[in-house]
Amino acid sequence: MKRLFKVDYLSRVEGETGITAEIQDGEVTVRAGVFEAPRFFESFLKGRHYSDVADFTARICGICPVAYQMSAVHAIERIFGVEVEEPIRELRRLLYCGEWIESHALHIYFLQGPDFCGAESAWSKKDYLPIAKRGLSFKKLGNRILTLLGGRPTHPVSVKVGGFSKLPKKNILLSILPDLQQAYQESLREVERTARLPFQNHTLDMECVSLCDPREYPMNHGNAISNSGINTPMAGFLAMVRESQVSHSNALHAKIRKDGRESPYLVGPISRVNLNAEKLPAEITTTMEKCGISLPIMNTRMGITARSIELSYAFHEAMRIIRAYEAPPEPSVRFQPGEGEATWITEAPRGMLIHRYALDHEGYVKDCTLIPPTSQNLAQVERDLRDFIQSHIDKPVEFLKKESEKIVRSYDPCISCSVHLVDLEGNKQGKPSYGIRGDLA
Amino acid sequence: MKRPRIGVFKFTSCDGCQLSVLNLEEELLDLIGLFQITYFREATDRPLRGHLDIALVEGSISTERQKGHVIEIRERTRYLVTIGACATSGGLQALRNWANIEDYKKAVYPSPAMIETLPSSTPISDHVHVDYELWGCPISSDELSETLGSFLLDRRPGMPAYSLCMECKSRGIPCLLVAKSEPCLGPVTRAGCGVLCPSLERPCYGCFGPKEGANIDSLLNVFRKNGFSHHECALLLDKMNTYAYRKARTGEGHP
Repeated sequence: MKRLFKVDYLSRVEGETGITAEIQDGEVTVRAGVFEAPRFFESFLKGRHYSDVADFTARICGICPVAYQMSAVHAIERIFGVEVEEPIRELRRLLYCGEWIESHALHIYFLQGPDFCGAESAWSKKDYLPIAKRGLSFKKLGNRILTLLGGRPTHPVSVKVGGFSKLPKKNILLSILPDLQQAYQESLREVERTARLPFQNHTLDMECVSLCDPREYPMNHGNAISNSGINTPMAGFLAMVRESQVSHSNALHAKIRKDGRESPYLVGPISRVNLNAEKLPAEITTTMEKCGISLPIMNTRMGITARSIELSYAFHEAMRIIRAYEAPPEPSVRFQPGEGEATWITEAPRGMLIHRYALDHEGYVKDCTLIPPTSQNLAQVERDLRDFIQSHIDKPVEFLKKESEKIVRSYDPCISCSVHLVDLEGNKQGKPSYGIRGDLA
Repeated sequence: MKRPRIGVFKFTSCDGCQLSVLNLEEELLDLIGLFQITYFREATDRPLRGHLDIALVEGSISTERQKGHVIEIRERTRYLVTIGACATSGGLQALRNWANIEDYKKAVYPSPAMIETLPSSTPISDHVHVDYELWGCPISSDELSETLGSFLLDRRPGMPAYSLCMECKSRGIPCLLVAKSEPCLGPVTRAGCGVLCPSLERPCYGCFGPKEGANIDSLLNVFRKNGFSHHECALLLDKMNTYAYRKARTGEGHP
């Protein structure tokens, strides 16, 4: 007997994606199709000046523009041999804290959160509203950090190669400390709340990959490491990644090539927490122990818990940076543009964001590679879905469908980020699989 | 009063303008009280049913199926409002309009034949009637509140029609073009961002698109006198609102 289910247009994720699963004679085939329209960033970046790159790549994603700006300016600074001063390095980290807070709060409270109380949205159930409001106040604080440093929360404008266009005044940064302190205390309780959510018990043996920096919890610096022993500089990791086009998705799928085999891997908050827990402040790790979070986390449904841990960390880290901040004399360092090639990886809210640029002698882009975290996770998402359906094969299709939606959501996929994407599902069956059509009533 | 029905839709875009709806923060909860959010895929599971009083449309049209879809939205909507540079002027991805799309596909995908896309990225107004346009990359949350509030009061939203320079002068920010010879698009760009870039000491790069009646060539002449090459000047206009600036420049009427 053949059983089939299909989610045309998954809600509460960034961008347009669907799921198709087929069960025949105990065999499960799963496709997490991405039908977001392609935008060809890697193509139109060619011939652009290095000074446009951060502004352009930011436009790949409205939820994590800072990640794109960070990977871009670091890669270009590496080509030019630019070293920024310590306060600039710290301010960039503060900017990233703002984005982690804003993006994680969105996912915890508006995207994945409603799944645990059977709500269709964050505002559709009265008893979820106080939780949603807490989420909004966290998100607002993240946006305030972004606005103080970059003028606005989406596509901030002050980041540039060499530093910032203008630096914030210390007293302005200090003005948000009381709110950060309060949010941090609340966020610790949120770690406890999200650790105790009713998770489907389903663990996987996964290859978790993240940056690792001896100095700090990773954001802009470090080697790529994994729980199976990878430890390589950024460029070395790019060499291990194989991107391939699959027939049902516009997003290229990335896998790691190791010992002659290609295998899926996981990037993002779960991987970062698993591989860098010792760099979290003691208060957060104590809270984790208290509510029974055991590391490593091998259940991807607990993405919400890992995000809550990082949300708390980002508040803590933002306070540390603000307290210690002393403005340098100049907002950016001088440099001479030149020819070269470099790869840089930073930790976007959803995981490692890989950029590689080759520039000509005047600083114009010859070619580039952009690999967003969602492309890296897609093969792992499919593996997770297959594994789950296989082990619950006797359950009704409706249950499998609902749970599959939740699984995909727990990865916080950002489909807009997967810039290389196409609808082939629709092509094959001769009709468009656009979700909204399916929804028409 | 029956709450007006509102829908949020997405075409080819980065999701940033939809996010400005969620970024209304406390106002968001008021919004939920005043309107009935009928369709918003990014935030709720609820499927689309029936007619809409307002459709907020993000993103440009860049695939065949989107062309049909936007007509469907238009047919069930009283006021269609575009939100942001992609929906209002084709977005950054409209840079493909001046290139060879086959080369683009080859550069990104190993099997370019599998990629279904139009050779151009165009604003919503090239396909259906648009009642109101919100510019910006991204839009400002204030302009969004103003637009939705105006709908409830049954009046036209009060958005500035002047250029960024007006706001910059009224805030007393030193002119980057005059004092530092920087290539600032302020004189030809519509106000609305709150003088974001000049207040952070960088020249305007045109998030809010060309102001009506802007004399772009005259500004480019100033840039040329300041030592910028023809090529550099052209690249300044080819950003998030490339389609609108090029149109405004060739005098094909304001988009």
